[in-house]
Amino acid sequence: MKKQALSLLISVLASVCISAAACAQDNMTAVDNRVFEKPERTRAVFRHESHNERAKIDVCNECHHVMKDGKKLEHESSEDKRCSDCHGLADSGETPSLRKAFHLNCRGCHEKSGKGPVMCGECHPKEDR
Amino acid sequence: MHDIYQFVSGPLARLAFTVFVIGSLYRLVQMFVLVYRKEKFIFSFMSWKYSLRSIFHWIIPFAAVNMQQQPIMTLVTFTFHICLLVTPVFLLSHAVLWEERWNIRLWSLPDQLSDIMTLAVIGCCFFFWGRRIKLPEVRYLTFASDYALLGMVAAPFVTGLIAYHQWIDYPFFMILHILSGEILLMAVPFTRLSHMLFWPFTRAYMGSEFGNVRHARDW
Ligand code: HEC
Ligand code: HEC
Ligand code: HEC
Ligand code: HEC
Repeated sequence: MKKQALSLLISVLASVCISAAACAQDNMTAVDNRVFEKPERTRAVFRHESHNERAKIDVCNECHHVMKDGKKLEHESSEDKRCSDCHGLADSGETPSLRKAFHLNCRGCHEKSGKGPVMCGECHPKEDR
Repeated sequence: MHDIYQFVSGPLARLAFTVFVIGSLYRLVQMFVLVYRKEKFIFSFMSWKYSLRSIFHWIIPFAAVNMQQQPIMTLVTFTFHICLLVTPVFLLSHAVLWEERWNIRLWSLPDQLSDIMTLAVIGCCFFFWGRRIKLPEVRYLTFASDYALLGMVAAPFVTGLIAYHQWIDYPFFMILHILSGEILLMAVPFTRLSHMLFWPFTRAYMGSEFGNVRHARDW
């Protein structure tokens, strides 16, 4: 009995911890652009949680990928890293520059699926939101 | 809206560039064939020296007497042509597209400067329009098609300005901007805008005839 209560407590605590850790992307409404030297556009609109819910994306590595030899590793993901940790401001070999990586990833999927914004101003609205 | 956007920014954009390039080549070849058939003697007095001398004098502001006599027109014309050609190629948004669609890497203008240059093009269009209405010697040579052409040139700049600043109905003006740019591009080889292709040859011909035949200057 005691053991069961303890394991229940641990699992509750664990899930609280996980959801607390997940808060960072819960509150995200736009993609941070401070890594660009001198951003020339407003931050791209991106409500992380509601976006992925509505777009029905349930695998994190659709975006947070780990690449090896030009292929995505299906069972690995990199949400503990920022895109800019691997994508520099300029292209390097097969790795696209940060701007290109975002555009390919975001607009690429929107174009392919026929849903979601594709015009510059739809992602970069006049007023930073 | 997105279907229309995909169409005008995809297949239609490729068509517009193709028509522009192939059409321009066609017109140039056509010109050479025509000259060769009908007025072959022109080649007898064509000269690199006089050709380049004439071109040089007409691409430097105020290097030709005619320009000195019309200082305002000269200033407006040079401003217009520089902004008209430089802005669309080196605009930041276009640089992003050059790179991401066609892998062509160019440097880009700061957006504020592009804004000023865009306004300059639009302002110059108004000037040319006013000039056609006001001056009898120009009005006499003006056809409805000249006003249409002026409107076609101004359209991508006006719509581009509205779309960039997202003043009204962004998606609509974005599409209109792309469409008007494509129409303009396709019109270059087949309208009076073809002076973009022919001017060096016109100048070379004038320069050579004046230099080699009349022994005079053409500037
Ligand atoms: C549609 C693409 C996409 C998907 C799918 C996605 N993310 Fe993200 N996520 C992003 C982007 C973009 C960022 C911002 C990255 C950056 O700034 O470098 C981000 C940031 C994060 C961050 C950091 C938040 C912060 O504020 O620092 C975490 C944590 C995260 N995502 C977790 C997840 C998890 C867990 C999943 C799967 C359930 C997931 N993401 C699915 C695009 C996505
Ligand atoms: C752990 C490092 C790493 C992280 C983090 C990372 N990437 Fe990548 N990414 C790569 C590498 C390496 C490649 C090149 C793969 C190849 O060889 O083609 C790549 C390629 C890409 C490509 C083009 C190839 C393709 O088919 O997907 C896109 C788009 C992209 N990344 C977007 C993103 C985005 C968006 C993020 C953040 C949400 C991100 N990447 C985070 C390493 C990373
Ligand atoms: C794997 C596909 C996919 C990827 C990757 C993706 N999106 Fe989306 N996005 C969608 C779909 C599908 C919708 C339409 C959802 C709906 O029906 O409302 C959408 C809608 C949107 C919307 C409008 C609705 C909203 O949530 O506000 C924005 C803004 C958006 N995406 C931004 C982004 C950004 C920024 C990125 C890159 C960091 C991105 N998306 C990556 C599929 C994707
Ligand atoms: C699907 C959404 C989306 C679309 C459409 C889109 N972008 Fe972006 N863009 C992003 C994201 C995400 C980033 C990286 C993070 C940020 O800026 O918030 C970015 C970054 C940039 C940057 C580098 C950062 C800066 O501010 O200087 C430029 C420049 C840019 N975009 C221009 C454009 C242009 C021009 C277009 C249209 C041709 C366009 N974008 C269309 C999502 C988009």
